[in-house]
Amino acid sequence: MCGVVALYAYHYAALEVEREELRQIRDAMSSRGPDGAGEWYSTDRKVGLGHRRLAIIDLSERARQPMANLDGTVLVSFDGEIYNYRELRAGLEKRGRVFKSQSDTEVLLHLYEEKGEAMLSDLRGMFAFALWDGQKKKMLLARDPYGIKPLYYADDGWTLRAASQVKALLRSEKVSRLPEPAGIVGFFLMGSIPEPYTLYQEIRQVPAGSFVWVNELGPSAPKKYFSIAEVFTQGERDGLGIDVRQALLDSVRHHFVSDVPVGLFLSSGIDSGALAALAREAGFKNLKTVTLTFDEFEGEERDEAPLAEEVARLYGTRHSTARISRDEFQRELQKFMEAMDQPSIDGLNTYFVSRAAREQGLKVVLSGLGGDELFGGYPSFQELPRMVRALAVPSGIPFLGDAFRHVSGLFRARGLHPKFSGLLKYGGTYGGAYFLKRGLFMPWELESVLDRQTAREGLARLGLLKRFDEALTPEPSTPFGCVAVLESSFYLRNQLLRDADWAGMAHSLEIRTPLVDAFLLKRLAGRLQKGEGKKLLAESVEPALPEPVIQRAKTGFSVPMEKWLEAGDEGSRPWARRWACRVMENQKGISKELVSV
Amino acid sequence: MKILALVTDAFGSQYGIAQYNRDFLSALTSMNGETSIVVLTRAGNPNQETPPARIQWKGAYKSKWRYVLATLYTFLTEKNFDLIFCGHLHLAPLAAFLSTLTNVPFWLQLYGVDAWDNRSILRRWAAKKASLVIAISRYTRRQFLAWSGVSPEKVRILPCTVDERFQPGPKPDYLLERYRLAGKKVLLTVSRLSSRENYKGQDQMIHLLPELLRKYPNLVYIIAGDGDDRPRLEKLAREKTLDGSVRFIGQVKESELPDVYRMADLFVMPSTGEGFGITFLEAACCKIPVIGGKTDGSMDALREGRIGKVVDPGNPEELARAIEDSLNSRGPSQEEVEIFSRGRFSHHVTELVKRLGQC
Repeated sequence: MCGVVALYAYHYAALEVEREELRQIRDAMSSRGPDGAGEWYSTDRKVGLGHRRLAIIDLSERARQPMANLDGTVLVSFDGEIYNYRELRAGLEKRGRVFKSQSDTEVLLHLYEEKGEAMLSDLRGMFAFALWDGQKKKMLLARDPYGIKPLYYADDGWTLRAASQVKALLRSEKVSRLPEPAGIVGFFLMGSIPEPYTLYQEIRQVPAGSFVWVNELGPSAPKKYFSIAEVFTQGERDGLGIDVRQALLDSVRHHFVSDVPVGLFLSSGIDSGALAALAREAGFKNLKTVTLTFDEFEGEERDEAPLAEEVARLYGTRHSTARISRDEFQRELQKFMEAMDQPSIDGLNTYFVSRAAREQGLKVVLSGLGGDELFGGYPSFQELPRMVRALAVPSGIPFLGDAFRHVSGLFRARGLHPKFSGLLKYGGTYGGAYFLKRGLFMPWELESVLDRQTAREGLARLGLLKRFDEALTPEPSTPFGCVAVLESSFYLRNQLLRDADWAGMAHSLEIRTPLVDAFLLKRLAGRLQKGEGKKLLAESVEPALPEPVIQRAKTGFSVPMEKWLEAGDEGSRPWARRWACRVMENQKGISKELVSV
Repeated sequence: MKILALVTDAFGSQYGIAQYNRDFLSALTSMNGETSIVVLTRAGNPNQETPPARIQWKGAYKSKWRYVLATLYTFLTEKNFDLIFCGHLHLAPLAAFLSTLTNVPFWLQLYGVDAWDNRSILRRWAAKKASLVIAISRYTRRQFLAWSGVSPEKVRILPCTVDERFQPGPKPDYLLERYRLAGKKVLLTVSRLSSRENYKGQDQMIHLLPELLRKYPNLVYIIAGDGDDRPRLEKLAREKTLDGSVRFIGQVKESELPDVYRMADLFVMPSTGEGFGITFLEAACCKIPVIGGKTDGSMDALREGRIGKVVDPGNPEELARAIEDSLNSRGPSQEEVEIFSRGRFSHHVTELVKRLGQC
């Protein structure tokens, strides 16, 4: 994990890049990269690249960034890891390319020289980078297929500013703080902001699996090079005779590529337990594992610690458990809010477990994140197809959904859940049903937390249902495929992965996700759609996971938020809604007039 | 390439928008390959100016409906247009209608206040239909994006360029004589004096002048331009008993404009409503020190203070300080002003047309 900064004064009238501004943005990300800082400027000062380094592969000074190619015409500032860099390097060396370091960053430079933007499909890993091509006078911004690593850019029409974090970009006085209604509304609808939006009009995320070229006219529209939906539709046609175990082992092996020790977040679930087993099988001994638990859960089924310790004993890891109390939560709350780059109703667990991992001396950990999206572990994999089947016909009748919403709304005061009113309006399609499942507020409730103008404008701009449909294009023919695409493209991407990035970053910890891997997905997509679920993962490891882990209901890393949040004026609201309001109150530059929490 | 240009004014008209459109259309004709342009305007006197070769000016239609009918007629009879250039947001629904009907891409041009806040559903629809939107400044772009919901990458910037007749030169004796300015320190504002555009900053200047005159008794403030706001400003000057120190010289002949700048010691326009502010550049090209506001498109024309001083127009102390500092300064460097040269402008137009082809 590192921090990327790129400034490109692309317009002929733009002022040269200022060193002071670049450093302000870069050093706002010092916790992303405490091991070093670098910068580079073009001779005409129209381009500046900056980097904060967390040294993980090739710890020497030769791997410093921004890194240039041999003749100094191509430079890159890169965040992430290319797990297949050794294979790629071997191929490049065979073709006569000479390397000066052992880093994966240098592979990027050579590969770009050979293939240009087409190289993106060759990269296995998590990455976000800004690459300057001095000969073409163009900058390439790109992100990995799933969107594990973040990259934001602010374009004022003269100068493009890109960085790994929104809050870092806001260190520049030249980036507008004008609020983006689509981002604000998106947060209240989903609990996280759907990309490419942010809270600010001028700042956008490079979409996952996409790249943006910036030339003298400015950034072009993002172009996709990877689509999860396409992989699933392709997977339907491909053969199913894949060895799941080997595919998983291959992913785990690749995710261990590191010059520093790699640890593991261990919960009492199948995903992280399976990773512990696969790591051992792949030959990685003495793995450090960390579990998070809370005072409030002691003695309850929700307590992760006992089962996690059993798994740790089974696979011989060096295990530790971090226990968090309510007092600890209150003490850390301000720091937590400051570390949160974009508002999210989640992330607290990752924040605390990352802190614990760092205290154990770890710089890199694996996480079982993405297992539920890959193997269908969420209840949504059963519930959504049922809902769509049942409601497809009535929800297709014009105006019936709206009529039902209005009529059922009359009973809301009697405790009817707001989502119930949306059943006929949304429940008949996968996108709509997914919104009912994952939505935080319904559109007609927004005016209770936002001013009317922002709510209306935001809804119109965001077009959330259209975004679901776009993610489902081409639409997988299996219900599993449809749900997996939606869970991976929204909840995983905009919430879990984004939270893992900033919450890990707050403690200078790199979080790797072997179950969020485009190469793994491509191999498994056909097989997954048979709907065997988590059993497929559990059966892939030896020795087998303890039976209570396999049988345990899906809880994830839960957090006792309900007990921790004191009931205030919004005491009647569920905790997630109260928490969302509190998170939004802490966002810089978002006027209280817009958000009437 | 055959282009239909729908603009409010271009040839036979004065002020910023007309000048910009003339520069833009001329740049289109200078691109490689044959380009022909058919222009319809809302204003302008055909007897006053003949457009360059390959630009066919169909005439000025003051009536809205006549303009619409003339456009439809031209579109149907001339046929085979490759691009519709829409030179004003007010005309965008018409351009969007034609574009939607025929699939011809349309380029929407934005200038100043008209594009900053617009709640019209029709214009919002039209703006979203544009293949490419060009704003005159970053400020206009930002304000447009705030209400329109158009994708930001579609909205690019093409700043004004300056005519080569604006060059440094000595103070012209004939103007010093005409306006009795010998031995005076001259502050100058050039703008339209419209009651709808009374944000240009002449008010602030008139209010500030008594204080400035105490330190610099030989100061004279020249207000060039005409319009329906002139009587109000004249009244304000009289109330401040500044009759001799504030002079309204009315509409300036195009041919005399460079000399009008040259007769000044300082060009000052603390405006809050500039889309860009071409007059800053014209003055700067004549090597006259300039002062403008920092809350609007003036920041682009002044390159954030590189070409002239930028001040908060609502802060009289800051404005007074800037005037005192600038009165005896040497004026902007020609290197800075060169950024807005015609060559760069034309090159950018060509590149934008290429991008339009890729949209």
